[in-house]
Amino acid sequence: MSNAIHIATREYAENARTKGFWINMLMFPIILLLSVKVPKLLEEKAKPIRQFALVDQSGQLGDIVRDAVERDYARLVMEKIGTYAQTYAKDKAAVSAETLEKTAMPSDFAGRVKEFMDYNEELMQQMMSPEAIEMQLSMIKPSLVEDAPEFEMPRRRYDEVDLSGLTGADLDLATAEPSEIVRALRPALVDDERLEGMEQPLFALIVIPPDAFEQILDPSIGNMANAPEPQDGIQFWSTNLTDMALSNLIERALDRELQKREYVANGLDPKQVSLIRSTTFQFSAFDPKKKEGEEAVSVADTMRKWAPVGFVYLLWVAIFTVVSFLLNNTVEEKSNRIIEVLLSSATPWEIMVGKLLGIAGVGLTMMTAWVLSLLGVLKFIAGPEVEWAGALFEVIQSSGLLPLFALYFVCGYLTYAGIFLAIGSLCNTVKEAQNFMGTATVILMVPLFTMVFVAQDPNGALATFLTWVPVYTPFVMMNRAAADPPMAELLGTGALMLVTIVFMLWLSSRIFRIGVLRTGQPPKIVELVKSLMTPLNNQ
Amino acid sequence: MSSQDALVLDGLTKRYGEFTAVRDVSLRVPEGSIYGFLGPNGAGKTTTIRMVLDIVKPTSGTLSVLGAPTAMAVRERIGYLPEEKGLYKKMKAWAVIAYFARLKGVSGKEAKQRAHELLERYGLGAFADKKVETLSKGMGQKVQVLASIAHKPDLVILDEPFSGLDPSNQQVMEDVISDLNKAGSTIIFSTHVMSHAERICDRILLIAKAEMVFDGTIEQAKALIPRLVRIGGVEASRLRSLPGVGDVMPSEESPGVFEVVVADGHDPQEILRACMREGIELSSFESGEPTLHDVFLHLVGDDAKVAAYR
Repeated sequence: MSNAIHIATREYAENARTKGFWINMLMFPIILLLSVKVPKLLEEKAKPIRQFALVDQSGQLGDIVRDAVERDYARLVMEKIGTYAQTYAKDKAAVSAETLEKTAMPSDFAGRVKEFMDYNEELMQQMMSPEAIEMQLSMIKPSLVEDAPEFEMPRRRYDEVDLSGLTGADLDLATAEPSEIVRALRPALVDDERLEGMEQPLFALIVIPPDAFEQILDPSIGNMANAPEPQDGIQFWSTNLTDMALSNLIERALDRELQKREYVANGLDPKQVSLIRSTTFQFSAFDPKKKEGEEAVSVADTMRKWAPVGFVYLLWVAIFTVVSFLLNNTVEEKSNRIIEVLLSSATPWEIMVGKLLGIAGVGLTMMTAWVLSLLGVLKFIAGPEVEWAGALFEVIQSSGLLPLFALYFVCGYLTYAGIFLAIGSLCNTVKEAQNFMGTATVILMVPLFTMVFVAQDPNGALATFLTWVPVYTPFVMMNRAAADPPMAELLGTGALMLVTIVFMLWLSSRIFRIGVLRTGQPPKIVELVKSLMTPLNNQ
Repeated sequence: MSSQDALVLDGLTKRYGEFTAVRDVSLRVPEGSIYGFLGPNGAGKTTTIRMVLDIVKPTSGTLSVLGAPTAMAVRERIGYLPEEKGLYKKMKAWAVIAYFARLKGVSGKEAKQRAHELLERYGLGAFADKKVETLSKGMGQKVQVLASIAHKPDLVILDEPFSGLDPSNQQVMEDVISDLNKAGSTIIFSTHVMSHAERICDRILLIAKAEMVFDGTIEQAKALIPRLVRIGGVEASRLRSLPGVGDVMPSEESPGVFEVVVADGHDPQEILRACMREGIELSSFESGEPTLHDVFLHLVGDDAKVAAYR
C-alpha cells in the first residue's frame, strides 16, 4: 500500500502546485471581498455625479423635484455621519451572536423612516444646515478615538444643470412644446455633443408640462382605464435604463406632492397623514421548533436557514473542481503512456486509491482555505457598514454546518471521483473526455438548480425525493442540514449512499483496469459492458 | 547466479477475442545476458513484454520472472521503459526520476541522490531542476530511461529504447545498456533496428506474426543463412566446377557478377585460392559476413518489407 501513498503524495504535490489550484483557492476570497467592497467603492468614487436638466412649465413642481434631490443628499450625509461615528467609535458595538438571536427580523422599518422624512421637510432642512451638521459632529466627537480624521462631506449623487445658457436660443423653455425641448437636448442626452461647461453627457432630462396636474391617474374620477397619453404627462428622458434611482426618487416626490395636495383639499393635515401611515401593528414571526419562550424568529435564525445554500454551492464547485483534476490527470497519464510505467510498479488498485487520496487531499485543502478565508473575510469586513458579515460569521461558527460540509464533501467526492476516473481512463484527450461527459453535465447540475427550492421547503417532496437519489444525496443533505430531516431518512439515504460509493468505486476500478491500456476511440457503452463481463486474461 | 534464468516463458499466448497477438512463445533469458526481442512492427513484441510485466494477463502459458510467478511480486527488482515515451510535463527532471525510484521501494533521500547522480553521469546535470516540458525530446527520453533504472533493477526491460534518438544519443543509450549489464543487470530490449541488436545482444528472439521464428545467439542466427560471395569477371560454368561452390546465380544489381553460395563446410578463402590456382582472372571478389539484417530478411521475408513501409 506504500505505493498508493507515494502516488497520493505526488498527486497532491503536483496538483497543489498548478495554477488552476491556486486560482481556485484564491478566487473565492478575492471575489467575496470584491463583491462587498467594490460596489461601495464604485458608489463613493467611480460613479459619476449624475447631471440632469429640469424644465418645469407648471411653475409649481420644479422645486418639489429639487427638494427631493436635496433630501436624498441629506439622507446620504446622515448615513455617512452614522458610519463615521461607528467606524471611529472608541468601543465598537460588535454584532454578537447573542444580540442576533434576540434581534427580530426587521419589517419594513427603513421604508417607514423614508416616508416620515418625506413628509417632514422642515425637520430635514434643519438637520441639513451647516450648523446642524457641525453640531452633530461635535456631539459625537467625545465618543470617537483620538486620531479620527475629519469628517468629509460625501459627493453629491445628482446635480442640476443650468439651462439658461442653452444655445439655439430661439427656444423659450417656459412655453416650448416638450418635443421641441427634447429635440434641442437630445444631442446632449445621447452624447453627440456636450452642453457648455459639461464634462459628461447629460444623464437625464425631466420635462413637466404646464398642465401636469390635469394629466393624472385618479381612481376617484375613475380614469384608470382611460389614462392620459404618456407624452402628455411628466417625461423622464435618459439613455440609462438600468440606474432607476433618480427617476424613482423624482416620481415618488412628485406623487407625494400630488397626494399632499389631495389631503389638504380633503381637509386633512399631511403631517398627520404621515404619522398615521407610520402606525403599524406589532407583527412577528415565530418558530414552533424553538425553545419555549424564545420562539420569535431572529435574524440569526433566518441566516441559519439560508447558510446551507451557500455551502451547497461551495460543495458543488469544490467537488467538480477536484474531480476534473482527477479526470485531467488520468487522461494525461494515459496519453503520455506514463500509466504503463505506473502499472509496472503498482497494481491498478493501488494507482486508483493513490489518485483518489491525493486529489481528496487537494480538495480538502481547497475547502479548508475557502472556509478559513470566508470566515476571515467576514470578520475583516464586519463592521457598521456590513453588519450582516459579523452576523454570518457568528452563525457559521456556531451552527455546526462546517463538520457536515466536510463530511458531505468526502461522500460527494467519493461518489463522483470513481466515475470521473473511469471516464479519464477510457479517453486519450481531455476533449474526448468532455464529449463523453456530454449531457451528463446537466444531470450533475440538478443540485444547483434546486438548491433554493430545497432551502425553502427543506422537508418537502422535492427535497425528500432528491435525497433518495444517491448521486444527489450529499448536496441535498447539505441543503437540508438546518432543517433537521427525519432520522429514518438520514440513515436510509446515508446507507444507500455508502452502498453507491462502494459500488461506484468497484465498477470504476474495473473500468480503470480495462481503460488505461486501451488505445483509440473511447468504447461505446455496449462494448464497455461486454468487456466488463469478460475475464481479465481475455482482455 | 549465472546458471539461473532471469526470465522463463513457457507457451505464452495472448488472444484478444478472435485476434491472436502472441502465440506459444517459450524462451529462457539467462541472468546477466543482454537479450534482444526483434521483429517487425506489430509482431507481438510489446504484448510479450506487457505479459512479462504483468500489465496484461496471458490467455495461456506460464512465466517465471526472477524466480517469481508474476512480475508484480518482484516489481522492485524490475525496470521498464515503455515503447511510447512520456513523462509528467510539469515535474522537474530529478523529481520524476526520484518518484519512479520511490515507487520501486527506494527511500526518499536515496532516490533524490540517485536521480542527481544519474543525471550528472549522463550529461544532464545542468537540467536536473528543469521541468520536463522544457527539455528536448531526446533529453526527455534519456530522463525516462534513467527513471526506469534508478532503483538499480536486476532485470531491465526496454521497449524500443533507440526509437526517436539521434545517432549520438543512440550511442549514449548503448552505453547505458552496457553499463547496466556490467553492473550485473539482465537486459531485455526490443527493437526493429538490427544493427543495435547485432552490436550489443548476446542472444536474440526473432518474432513475426505473433510467433517466434528464432531464439539463440547471434552466431547461431547468422549460421541459418547460406554465406554468399560475389565474384565478377568469370563464366558461371567455370565457377560451378570449383571446389566449395554451391549455387551460382547472376547478380540482379550488377551484370557480369555472380552470387556464389559457399557450400557447407567450406569458406570463401578456399574459393579464392582455387581461382588463383586455376589461373582465373577475377575482376572482383567480395566476401562479407552476413548481417543480422540479412538473417532478418531471410527469416521474416515479405513481412519485414511491409513493416518497413509503415
